[in-house]
Amino acid sequence: MIWQLDLLILSLIVLCALATISVKDLFSAAIIFGAYSFLMCLLWTEMGAVDVAFTEASVGAGVSTVLFVAAVFRTTRKVKDRGVKRYWTKGVGLLAATSVGGVLIAAVGDFPGFADPLSPASTHLSPYFITNTLTDTAVPNIVTSVLADYRGYDTMFETAVIFAAGLAVIAILRRSKTGVQHESREKVILSEGYEDTIIRLVARKMVPFMQLFALYVLAHGHHSPGGGFQGGVILGASFILIAISYDMKMLLGRMSEKWNVLLGNIGVLVYAGIGFVCLLLGANFLDYSILHRILPATDEIMARSHGMLGIETGVAIAVSAIVVSLYVNIASQGKHDKGL
Amino acid sequence: MEQFFLFMGIGICVLMLLTLYRVVVGPTVIDRLMGVNVFGTKTTVLLLIIGVMFDRLDMFIDISLAYALLNFIVTIATSRYFQHHKTLSATGYGYSFSKREKSDD
Repeated sequence: MIWQLDLLILSLIVLCALATISVKDLFSAAIIFGAYSFLMCLLWTEMGAVDVAFTEASVGAGVSTVLFVAAVFRTTRKVKDRGVKRYWTKGVGLLAATSVGGVLIAAVGDFPGFADPLSPASTHLSPYFITNTLTDTAVPNIVTSVLADYRGYDTMFETAVIFAAGLAVIAILRRSKTGVQHESREKVILSEGYEDTIIRLVARKMVPFMQLFALYVLAHGHHSPGGGFQGGVILGASFILIAISYDMKMLLGRMSEKWNVLLGNIGVLVYAGIGFVCLLLGANFLDYSILHRILPATDEIMARSHGMLGIETGVAIAVSAIVVSLYVNIASQGKHDKGL
Repeated sequence: MEQFFLFMGIGICVLMLLTLYRVVVGPTVIDRLMGVNVFGTKTTVLLLIIGVMFDRLDMFIDISLAYALLNFIVTIATSRYFQHHKTLSATGYGYSFSKREKSDD
């Protein structure tokens, strides 16, 4: 932690947050929120939480602002001033916000200091993880092993929550006429978007590298920041780039709606399925060490490492499919005809 | 050497403050967009500088690469937005709905 940079980045974050809530234009708010996300990533990096920073980097730069822009694209941009001055409700809101904020600020005094070795968080579980992770699981990145092995249940239900969010967006937004989605199968799918030579060329050259990088992030998550979630988001962002630089028909020709939803299912099923395989072999749910009976040339320790890679792959498949389906449904208002 | 990188990081933070002025004040969305784009580039560099200061550059280079690969998607998405909604004017928010769009709503 470098206090000079800490101070500067924190003050920039406060400025950005104030600007985001004070600007009246939704589009500008979305863009300033993008800058806010950059700064949060920097702050986490600077505090040493590189895995969290990586998640913020991939989600903030690749997906969230694009989803905001797509949502604004399908709505109106400006808030109508109704001309009614609601001083009473505003006063109640201000009172509630200041009192809650005051309680929170008062509670900050009871927190242990930053990186205090005697704080409760650093005396119970953290020493166990720090000393035993490498001997238990053969994974150098403690964050990955805590997420995928020691607290595998939490991550499984997080993946299920992401899947449920994707299903909710489809259930709310999707509108289809019967037969429309089957027409495109007979025709040769050509893009009907704008003929932008530079953007199309750059996107065509960039997408394979992005997907390769996503696979690297997924596979190298045991040794460096990254893992299934970040890799999945980058993979999904590469599909979104295809949809933006060409058009939505191109994307749906490459990855149809049926496969999209199916892959979201498959990802969650891979995760839960590995847990059930452990159960069938006679161990607890998601206890990967038992997998050494069916995986060739592994002992109990390496089996945990391989089990983690398996469930991270499931997370990546689910997240990338859900990210793509979120973009497709929001940007086309559920019609799947054309997006941004 | 440590001091050198620290001052470099602080210098980039000050430059980010100048860019943030353009992002916050505007006046048009295009100014804000350009500001955020420059912001992303500066973030990429600052991440690497923090990596050098922590002496773990290998941890931070992945995050920088992710930014370098993904930073321009928002710019293209925003450009597409303005390509569809045609009217752009220099005043106000730099943008107004055309009459045809209004009747659609």
